[in-house]
Amino acid sequence: MNLEKVVFGFFIVLAMTLNFGFFIGDIDNASHHHAYELYAAIIVSLIATVLKFGDRTHVGAILLSTSLAADLQLIAAAILWAALNGTYDEASLTVYIVSLSGGALMANIISVVLLISETISQKR
Amino acid sequence: MDSILFLILRRLRRPLILIIVSFAIAIIGLTLMPGHDDQGHPWKMSIFDALYVISYTATTIGFGEIPYAYSKAQRLWLTFSIYLTVIPWFYAVGKIITLLQDTGLRQAVTTERFANKVRQLQEPFYILCSYGQSSNLLAKALDEKGMRVVVIEPQQERLNELELIDTRNIIPYLCADAILPENLERAGVLHPLCSGVIALTDDDNVNLAVAVAVKLMNPDLLVIARAERDDIAANMASFGTDHIINPYTLFGDQLAMRVHALGTYLLHEWLTGVPGDTLPPPENPPKGRWVVCGYGRFGKSVVENLEREQITTTIIEAMPEMTGCDHCIVGSGTEAKTLLEADITNAVGIVAGTDNDTNNLSIVMTAFELNPKLFVVIRKNRRHNGRLFKQFNADITMQPTEIIAHECLAHMISPLLAQFLSLARGQTNDWANKLISQLVMTMGETVPETWAIRIDNEDTPAVIELMEAGLNVSVQHLMQDPANREVQLELVPILLLRNNIPSLVPDPNTRLKAGDRILFCGSPATKSTLPSILNNTKTLTYIIDGIEVPNSLVWRWLESKFKSKS
Repeated sequence: MNLEKVVFGFFIVLAMTLNFGFFIGDIDNASHHHAYELYAAIIVSLIATVLKFGDRTHVGAILLSTSLAADLQLIAAAILWAALNGTYDEASLTVYIVSLSGGALMANIISVVLLISETISQKR
Repeated sequence: MDSILFLILRRLRRPLILIIVSFAIAIIGLTLMPGHDDQGHPWKMSIFDALYVISYTATTIGFGEIPYAYSKAQRLWLTFSIYLTVIPWFYAVGKIITLLQDTGLRQAVTTERFANKVRQLQEPFYILCSYGQSSNLLAKALDEKGMRVVVIEPQQERLNELELIDTRNIIPYLCADAILPENLERAGVLHPLCSGVIALTDDDNVNLAVAVAVKLMNPDLLVIARAERDDIAANMASFGTDHIINPYTLFGDQLAMRVHALGTYLLHEWLTGVPGDTLPPPENPPKGRWVVCGYGRFGKSVVENLEREQITTTIIEAMPEMTGCDHCIVGSGTEAKTLLEADITNAVGIVAGTDNDTNNLSIVMTAFELNPKLFVVIRKNRRHNGRLFKQFNADITMQPTEIIAHECLAHMISPLLAQFLSLARGQTNDWANKLISQLVMTMGETVPETWAIRIDNEDTPAVIELMEAGLNVSVQHLMQDPANREVQLELVPILLLRNNIPSLVPDPNTRLKAGDRILFCGSPATKSTLPSILNNTKTLTYIIDGIEVPNSLVWRWLESKFKSKS
């Protein structure tokens, strides 16, 4: 047991679960997707990114790049929301935001898969 | 550069996470606090607005209450947020500033920059593994000749000097120990354009380590190393070090050369000098009995060489047991008593060769009072004592640093030059004097440039083309001015190498053959003019026949018509 590993795994998994929680629901129904959930997903994803800094191994590099991809899409979704809210038809705006978060979800899934595969390959 | 970026990111992990967490708490709280808009309707801040407010609050910019005046609850939360976010913000800024001042990080950055500069070099370059007195001179000379140099030196003070001097090209330098192979690699030992490594530190062991490391990493590279001890020199030779330089033996050789053949010596000095310098008129040491003070490595070499020239010597040595000298007068030579014991009044010359500058000056001053007609050879150990030595004005001042630099240059300018110099030593003094007067007549008394060319398709396409066309191209043609063929260029061919057979100062009427290598000596301006003859068929034709070949096809056709009619 290593506290660092616990925190590390926790944030990576939490980033994915929050992302999934936001993504699930009808893609054009705004009431299925709550702003605070996106907010939480972004914050946790950012923390996960910073935690991955400085790992020079190959897996570490890929983990960081998946996190960066997730951040990019989630932040793009948030910017879209902040910028177009009220000036755009709600259903199609929701579609854009949710589809972007769906992309981020893919990146987060890859990140978790990498984390699991690395854990399994550890012999201890 | 990658590793440095990751190093920064890793150290910034904690402050970044603190900022993210504190901002996240402050933003979420602000959106939850109840407030009112300008009409008094209940209103809550959106996440985006909250991010905006917290961002300018945490960075202490403070735009005020935007978009509406805040309620009590919002103000309460914002007060809490200020203390929550401003502190992590300053912590992060402070951390970044400390990181930028971190010596380890700065060292990593300068090392990386140096390696990058070396990697980007597009011309052949030499690596100097120190920046001491002789390397300093050498770097200056090479830079004057337009060659690129890279310097590794462990002492920052010496590099400060390098930073301040004016050079033609940028000299990349690194403050590091050349004994570490990774530093040699950064300096470009494995670079395809690296022409050689020169190890001239004061420490024989460092020079040996560098020579060995370079020969292991890149066996084909030219390595010139300084070695004062014989066992180290032998060790270097066993590793294939190309040239081993011992300043004491070299000076002994040169002193003998001066006694024996002054012209040859002068030629040697001239061809290996820094371009643009003028040479002081040399003194011819007299034959007779000499007094040598100090029987160390320097003294031994001097005595050995003088005796070869049938000059008798009297040795004065302070510690005869340590230096292994059998019949010498014991004393330092600084007192008149010891010098009189050595019969200084009847000697023709004195050599002050101890390793202490003050003692050397004291010896020659005392000796001079006893016998003002003495020929004085003095050894100068430290360059910063130069002013004192200038004041004294000895007949020959021996300075190891200059001798080393000249010897290195002879090997580095061109392998042909080293060959020429060794051949010249075998010639008579009259031959050397004649060559010197020819050189002085052609290009004046400043130190000339020496450079080598090869007659082949790459170096001299025009010569090859005309030879294939059946024309007779001789050495003379390369010595004429491309602007006016009646005028001679300021250059003299001093060596022609054909099928590995050298001929000194070839006859101008010698016909050129493909594969010939010629060593020229001439003014710097001529060095840049010569390629226009070698590369341009039109210019060369004009020089040979005096005919201006027309450039365009139409004119050539017209001219051939005109010729056939007349």
